[in-house]
Amino acid sequence: MQIITEQNLRNLIDLLVKEAKLVVGPKLSGSVVLYEPLTAGTELTLDALPRRSSKELFFPVCEDILSYKREGGGMKVTDVDRSKFPETVLIGAPPCDAGSPSILDAVMSWDYKDEFYLERRKKSTIVGIACTKGDDACFCQAVGLAPDAENGSDLFLTPLKDGSYACNAVTEKGQALVAAHKNLFAEGAGAEPVPFVDQAVQKLDLVKIKKWLEEHFEDPLWERIADICVGCGACAFICPACHCFDINDEGSTDDGVRRKHWDACGFAKFTNHASGHNPRDVQNKRYRNRIMHKFKYYDDKFGKTLCTGCGRCIRACPVGIDIAEILETINGKAE
Amino acid sequence: MNAKASKNQLTSIEPAYYEAVTEAIRKEAVKILKEETVVGVVGYLPGRRKGTATPALVTSVEEAEKLIFSPACVNNLSVYLTKAKKGVLKQGKVGIVAKGCDMRALAGLMTESQLQREDLFIIGVVCPGVYGFGVERTGTLTEANIARKCRECTVHMPEGADVAAGTHAELADLTPEEAEEMARIEAMPQAERWAFWKEHFSRCIRCMACRQVCPFCYCEQCLCDKNRPQAVESSPRPAGNMAWHLVRAMHLAGRCGGCAECERVCPMDIPLNLLNRRMAKELKELYDYEAGLAPVEKGPLNQYKEDDDQSFIK
Ligand code: SF4
Ligand code: SF4
Ligand code: SF4
Ligand code: SF4
Ligand code: SF4
Ligand code: SF4
Repeated sequence: MQIITEQNLRNLIDLLVKEAKLVVGPKLSGSVVLYEPLTAGTELTLDALPRRSSKELFFPVCEDILSYKREGGGMKVTDVDRSKFPETVLIGAPPCDAGSPSILDAVMSWDYKDEFYLERRKKSTIVGIACTKGDDACFCQAVGLAPDAENGSDLFLTPLKDGSYACNAVTEKGQALVAAHKNLFAEGAGAEPVPFVDQAVQKLDLVKIKKWLEEHFEDPLWERIADICVGCGACAFICPACHCFDINDEGSTDDGVRRKHWDACGFAKFTNHASGHNPRDVQNKRYRNRIMHKFKYYDDKFGKTLCTGCGRCIRACPVGIDIAEILETINGKAE
Repeated sequence: MNAKASKNQLTSIEPAYYEAVTEAIRKEAVKILKEETVVGVVGYLPGRRKGTATPALVTSVEEAEKLIFSPACVNNLSVYLTKAKKGVLKQGKVGIVAKGCDMRALAGLMTESQLQREDLFIIGVVCPGVYGFGVERTGTLTEANIARKCRECTVHMPEGADVAAGTHAELADLTPEEAEEMARIEAMPQAERWAFWKEHFSRCIRCMACRQVCPFCYCEQCLCDKNRPQAVESSPRPAGNMAWHLVRAMHLAGRCGGCAECERVCPMDIPLNLLNRRMAKELKELYDYEAGLAPVEKGPLNQYKEDDDQSFIK
C-alpha cells in the first residue's frame, strides 16, 4: 500500500503550485471554509466541510461566456479562450463532493455539450479523502455513497491513526499524479485507519422512493413543505449536484459580457417564460421539482441520483427543511 | 427554577425554562384553535436533528399540542404573514408565536398597512435568547452558544401581545459583540471600511436567502429581479453584489426591525446586521425614530413635512 505523510501531502501541494497547476482545496476564508486556490500546502485545512461544494471548480458561481462590443456598423463578439483554462488539482474533497462531478458529467455532455464545464473536467484531477468528521445532517450512506467511497476520485486518501494517509490511485489520472511525484509516497503497511462517522439516516430505498414520486406528482406533502419554504436559492446554490444556471447579458447595448451564473428552483422567477407564463408559479411546484429532479428525472434520464447526501442544504435552509427527513418520510410511505 | 433567579446571577438558561414556555404556548394555541378564535397558529415544531426546530403552520389541536419553544426557535415567523407568503393560511384571524424581536416586525408591518392588529392573536414569548449559528446545541443556553443579537436584547419582555408565555429570565453580563464590532468598523478610515464590505460582498452568492426571510422584503417585484432591462446586475460578481446590498440597506432604512434574520441565514457569513444597525442609527440621529417598537401612523421616510431639515440639499 502506498502511504503519504501529512507533511508530504502539503509538500505535494507546494510542488504542484510550482508546476503552475491550479491547486484548489478547503481553505479558511474569513469565517468560512471554502474551496479556494491554494498558494501553499500550509493553507489546506481539513477540519470542516467547506460551506460551498467543490462543483464551482467546474461550474463557477459566475463565468463570462463571451463579450460583445459595437464596432463600426456591427457588433463584434469575442469568445472566451477555453484553451487557457489551467490544469487543475482538487485536493481534500470528501466523497460527497468528490463524487459529484462524475454525476454531473452526464447532463453536461448530453444533447448539448457544455464546453466550459467539460474543458475544466478534462484538465482536472480529483484527490478525494475519506471522511471522519460528519455531523447529524450527513447522509451520504443513505443515498449509496459512503464516508469512504472512492467514486469520482482519481486518487483517494484514507486518514490513518498516525496522521498519515493511505493512497489508492483509482484512475489513470491518479496514477499519473503519484508517478510524477514518486518520492513523496512511500510503500508501507500503514497504521490503522481513523474510524468513519456513524450516520443517523438509515439506508434509503431509492427505487422505492422513485416509484412513490412517479405516483405522487400531486400530494399534500408538497404543500406542507411549500408552506414553510421561503423560496431562496440557498439549498441549490451550496449543493454539489444542483446545476441549473441562468444567462444574462450585462453591460450596455454597446459593450458588455454574456454571463452564465447559478440559478435555483426555489426562486419565484425560475422557469418564468418570456411570455409571462410561469408553469411553476407557486412554491410547492418548485420544491416538488427539486425532489423530482434529484430522485426521479435525473435517474430516468441518466440512471443516477442527483444528491450525494452531503447535508449542506439541511444545514443551510433558513427554515429547517430537511431533505433527509423528507426522503425518510417518502421511503416509509411507499409500498 | 432558573427563571426566578435574579438577573445578575444567571449564567445559563436551563431546558426547564423552555419547557415551561412550551407548555404555555401549547395551552394557548389549543385554546384559540378550539374556540375557533383563529384559523391557524404559526409556531415552531421540533426538527429531526437534535436541538433543531422548524416553523410550522398548525391548524388542528393535535398539531398544536406538538408546538415547542427552545433555543433553536430562531426564525422570525412574521414573514409568513406577509404578502411574500400570501395564501399560506386561510383567511381569518391568525395566531402567531412571537419573541420580542419578532414583535417589532409585526409592529412595523402594521405601520406599513400589511397587517391589521385585529387579525392577529399574538402569543408573546418572554424570551431569554436563542442559539447563534454553528454552535453546540446542548439544550442549555450559555454565553458560548447564544446568538449575537440576543447579547444586546432590549425586548426580552414582549409588549403588546395578547398573552405572554414564560416568566422573566435572561443571561447576565454578556459582551455586546455587535456593538463592539460596529464601533470597530466606524472607527476605520473610509477606504478601509469600503475594503471591509467589498471583501464581504465578494463572497455573496446571490442566493437571496437574506431577502426571502426578511418580513420587510415583501415587494412583489424586487428591483434586483428585474432583467428587462436589468436594473442591478444579477450575477454574483462584486459590482452587482455591492449594488444589491446598497439597494437593500437603503430600502430597509427606517423599516428594518432588527431581527437579524438576514444575517443568520446568510450561508456566506456576511454580517448584514451591521449594515441594518448602522442605518437604524442614522434614522435615530436624523429623525429621532426607531423602527417597530410600536405601530405608528407613518415612518419617517414615507412622509413629508414642511419643516423637514433641508440642509443636506446643496
Ligand atoms: S440535495 Fe442537499 S444533501 Fe443532497 S447533495 Fe444537494 S446539498 Fe447535499
Ligand atoms: S456526507 Fe458527511 S460523512 Fe458523508 S462524505 Fe460528506 S461530509 Fe463526509
Ligand atoms: S433553502 Fe429552504 S427555504 Fe430556501 S428554497 Fe431551499 S428549502 Fe426553501
Ligand atoms: S433578541 Fe431578544 S427577543 Fe429576540 S431572540 Fe434574542 S433574546 Fe429573544
Ligand atoms: S444570504 Fe448572503 S449570500 Fe445569499 S444573497 Fe444574501 S448576502 Fe448574499
Ligand atoms: S433587514 Fe434583516 S434584520 Fe431587518 S427586518 Fe429584515 S431580516 Fe430582520
